[in-house]
Amino acid sequence: MTELLVRNACVIDPIRGINGEIMDIAIRDGRIVESVSDRAEMIDARRCLTLPGGIDSHTHVCGTKVNFGRYMSPEDMRAGRTRRRGRMHVTSGYYVPTTFGNSYRYSAMGYTTLLEGAMAPLEARHTHEEFTATPHQDMLANTLFDGNWAVMDAVREKNIQKTAAIVGWTLNAVKGYAIKLTNPGGTEAWGWGEDLTSIHEPVRHFEVTPAEIISTMIRANELLRLPHSVHLHCNNLGKPGNYQTTLATFDLVPDLNPDRQTLYATHVQFHAYGGGTWRNICSKAEEITRSINNKPQIVMDMGQIMFCRTMTMTADGPMEFNLHCLHHNKWSNHDVELETGSGIIPVTYSKKSAVNCIMWAIGLELALLTKSPWQCLLETDNPNGAPFVKYPEVIGLLMSKRYRDEECATLHADTEKRTSLHALEREMDWFDIAVMTRAGQAKALGIINQGKGHLGIGAEADIAIYPIRTDSLDPAREYRKVVEGFQKTRYTIKRGRVVSRDGEIIVDGANATFWTNARIPEDLRVDNDPEFIRRFQEFYTVRMSNYPVQEVYLPRGRCVETESFT
Amino acid sequence: MIVNDVVCPFCGCLCDDLELEVKGDRVVRVQNGCSLAEATFMNDTRLPAPIRRTTTGWKEIPYDEAIKETADILKDADRPLLYGWSSTHGEAQSVGVHIAELMGAVIDNTSTVCHGPSILAIQEVGHPGCTLGQVKNRADVVIYWGCNPVEAHPRHMSRYTTYATGFFVPDAQRDRTVIVVDTRRNNSSDIADEFVQIEPGGDYAVLSALRAIVRGKDSVIPKKVAGIEKEQLIRVAEICTKAKFGAIFFGLGLTMSRGKYKNVRNAIELTDELNRHTKFVISPMRGHGNVYGSNEVFTWMTGYPFAVDFARGIAFYNPGETTAVDILRRGECDAALIVASDPGANFPRIAAAHLAKIPTVVIDPHVNATTSLSRIHIPCTAAGIDAAGTAYRMDGVPIRLKKVIERGYPDDAEILKKIYDRLNGSKGP
Amino acid sequence: MKCILNTGRSVPQGVSVEHKGSEEYRTVASVCFLNSVDMMVLGIETEARVRIASPSGHVVLTARSADGLKQGEIFVTIGPYANHIISSETHGTGMPDFKSQCVNVEVTEEPVRSVGELMEEIGGLRYDRQ
Repeated sequence: MTELLVRNACVIDPIRGINGEIMDIAIRDGRIVESVSDRAEMIDARRCLTLPGGIDSHTHVCGTKVNFGRYMSPEDMRAGRTRRRGRMHVTSGYYVPTTFGNSYRYSAMGYTTLLEGAMAPLEARHTHEEFTATPHQDMLANTLFDGNWAVMDAVREKNIQKTAAIVGWTLNAVKGYAIKLTNPGGTEAWGWGEDLTSIHEPVRHFEVTPAEIISTMIRANELLRLPHSVHLHCNNLGKPGNYQTTLATFDLVPDLNPDRQTLYATHVQFHAYGGGTWRNICSKAEEITRSINNKPQIVMDMGQIMFCRTMTMTADGPMEFNLHCLHHNKWSNHDVELETGSGIIPVTYSKKSAVNCIMWAIGLELALLTKSPWQCLLETDNPNGAPFVKYPEVIGLLMSKRYRDEECATLHADTEKRTSLHALEREMDWFDIAVMTRAGQAKALGIINQGKGHLGIGAEADIAIYPIRTDSLDPAREYRKVVEGFQKTRYTIKRGRVVSRDGEIIVDGANATFWTNARIPEDLRVDNDPEFIRRFQEFYTVRMSNYPVQEVYLPRGRCVETESFT
Repeated sequence: MIVNDVVCPFCGCLCDDLELEVKGDRVVRVQNGCSLAEATFMNDTRLPAPIRRTTTGWKEIPYDEAIKETADILKDADRPLLYGWSSTHGEAQSVGVHIAELMGAVIDNTSTVCHGPSILAIQEVGHPGCTLGQVKNRADVVIYWGCNPVEAHPRHMSRYTTYATGFFVPDAQRDRTVIVVDTRRNNSSDIADEFVQIEPGGDYAVLSALRAIVRGKDSVIPKKVAGIEKEQLIRVAEICTKAKFGAIFFGLGLTMSRGKYKNVRNAIELTDELNRHTKFVISPMRGHGNVYGSNEVFTWMTGYPFAVDFARGIAFYNPGETTAVDILRRGECDAALIVASDPGANFPRIAAAHLAKIPTVVIDPHVNATTSLSRIHIPCTAAGIDAAGTAYRMDGVPIRLKKVIERGYPDDAEILKKIYDRLNGSKGP
Repeated sequence: MKCILNTGRSVPQGVSVEHKGSEEYRTVASVCFLNSVDMMVLGIETEARVRIASPSGHVVLTARSADGLKQGEIFVTIGPYANHIISSETHGTGMPDFKSQCVNVEVTEEPVRSVGELMEEIGGLRYDRQ
């Protein structure tokens, strides 16, 4: 039995409605309890800001394309390297760090749970291997279904039950957590070097549209009673004028679940562009947030970009090729048979580029114009918009109008004309930030019941204590202290153990991986369907028996069982 | 006993549809496999026990002693080299990286003398590729450039390309055009629809010519380029641009000949160019079963796919300096740990000779040329035969190798962990 | 005769690659393929022995004709025999010139040595228990 008592913590715990109360937190064997014995180890938080461990609900940190980003970028590996020190392994890389680099830096920022944004089922084993080497965060994997042949066939047949059965079998086989759709239909079209330009354009041969895929998958997701909703990267990412696609997509979404959203729209900044060319691109954040503010069934995340050099990596292969044709830098692409695609290119977001400045402003506008912070979560689509180490700066910008104005003064002159950021007075408070960086994520991912995102009795003791005194710090004025404070916790506690102190990792980690297992009625199971098996054996290049990820790849797997089809 | 859907660990194809008949600790029959697979499973002679070289011959020693001596050799070394890794599973590779990190060693894998130059090219211009099933189901044009799949990857053509039935390619033999580019005629070129025979060292020029033609600049091309008639180049370019889905597979013909990584870069840039007309992909034909896995494991742990030097405390990478052949050629390392490979046979003589001058330890199931150069050889399981573990196919698809028999050998990952523990005062990695 | 040495894999080499001490492997790895015209110029028949020399060393191999080769090219399976004469210079890439080594080919009466003998020549000691 191990016990820990955190005293004098200034707690903000949005899920329980606690906002800045000074309290003690008792921990036994990794969970929060009523009280501990007087033999418990003690930490004095000294009235510092204490939050549930941070949760990133959309980041790219593990798996085939992330590793390829490292593989092709020795220049970035040299950019951020640290020695072996104490319990810390060597790390390399700044915008695509090695797994230990990701894990240590997230931990230093108080993050204890990460959702990998895109895992191709065929290559799931790789993602899980890297999860094991990312020891200080619990991990979940979004599983890609955007170009899944069996799913598209079932969608064409308008068969929601069969769609659900395919999804359920696949998630179980690859130990995935949730459904991810990246440019649905578009990744299959990219198999022929093409893309789709509208959500009503059919995919060649399969004769289904993105709108049909999205609508059917949303219903299949609810039939499976999955903890998270469908997680969508909309079509037409990064194209001027794409906000109409985004709005049309949002209009497809019914409100089907009382506990959480029915659709999670990711990195919406990249999907909120007006105009028709790179010359007249402008912000449509107002239109997008008007839609969101009227649709409690949708939660989005920002997809904030920051000015720096970084790497874009996504399953959206055609988008990456288009971007490559603009940047003329190196380009990698990796299509995955019968499932999805992916692309990787390095980019530099520059203040000299009007387009980049507008993108930067749009991300902030989205957050500031969304009334409920539970509906617009903070992230950068790491590393696409910026590496996650930039989150504290994003927090600073959201909390301080002065910081935003000072930044805006350094930007391309067109920014003010084509966005409305300068007119937004809103300054977020500590509670809003706690929602946007952990509580909102826990609710959206459906992991509150797993003891994540709050500090109630029975919750997992994942806690971040920041060197920030909310009673004396004025974030609007002293935003630099805010940024600094969120860069490095005083303590990061993971499952009841202090893992990081003042940015230094002090133990070997032992994370868990969450995955979902939906029970599917015998007569609907695809592994009993001879036609499904025949097509699998004929067109995949691995045998069906070698496809599922063995339990050995999840040394601390946590299965979330669902009573589906009820 | 019959075991189904077995993965052959020999080459980068990692065919996973073998059927094995097992009797006791022996595989007695291999079905669906090529002759390389058959030899891998059925002709599997092992070194029976750890051996140490004495002044006059070889002496069998217990495992514990061999492990202790290996740890002592590494501990005493100022600049140890850990080399090999491509014929074992990711679990062993991962412990290897941890040892290198702990000791401040150089760790390199066999891609250094295989597709290392391809990696250098990819680091310059990227890699437009795909999984092999994309090629199988879609490709109507397949190009083998500087590689000989019939000899080196015998089932590549039947599983993924020339003879494979794909969803959009129901009649493979009729629907696919196969082009072979090589300096010599061989078994692969004999079955090509179009054979392009290049003068040795002419790959770069031919790739440049094709890029020019694809860009519509055929007027600048001379009558002949590296022995190829202009007409043939134009014909090949046209086959490519008219393809619905084209796939280039390239081998050591590009990486080992004059120009090395620049050849590969040019081939990738040709692929890039072709994507502005149609869909095209390119992939290296990786040799050892899990050489790609060693690149993957090294990369997520250190940031670099091969040639990683921990001497400075951080991970440092500079091919040409931190690559195994160069370190040996310069006589720089003062101890070597060779795992699952045979540099004695595969490195130029001068480089191999240095292994005999320093204490070299081999961890490998089989006696090989490096055995003769070593101080100690510790036999272990062979991944995919009597040990399970992860391997990455040449296209990056991770596959779990199976353990099909038990032969009583310890797993190399276990041996390496014991060495690590000794070096680290028995704290785990 | 001046030639360019090319190396590569073959099925027989792959089959015996884990048995480098075997006679079978020696037979496979120590063959030097030449264009038949070059063999005529040298005045030799198949199974004659040739001495291949480069600035890095020399090795004796068994000659065999192969029509796929052009004049002035020779091919040896990847392995210890070819490596005996390949330079370890990598031109800053880590990769030796496995496919473009300039060599001199001449007829010889010397025998083809075993892999073990090659290894002993560079300081090794054969382990013969197979």
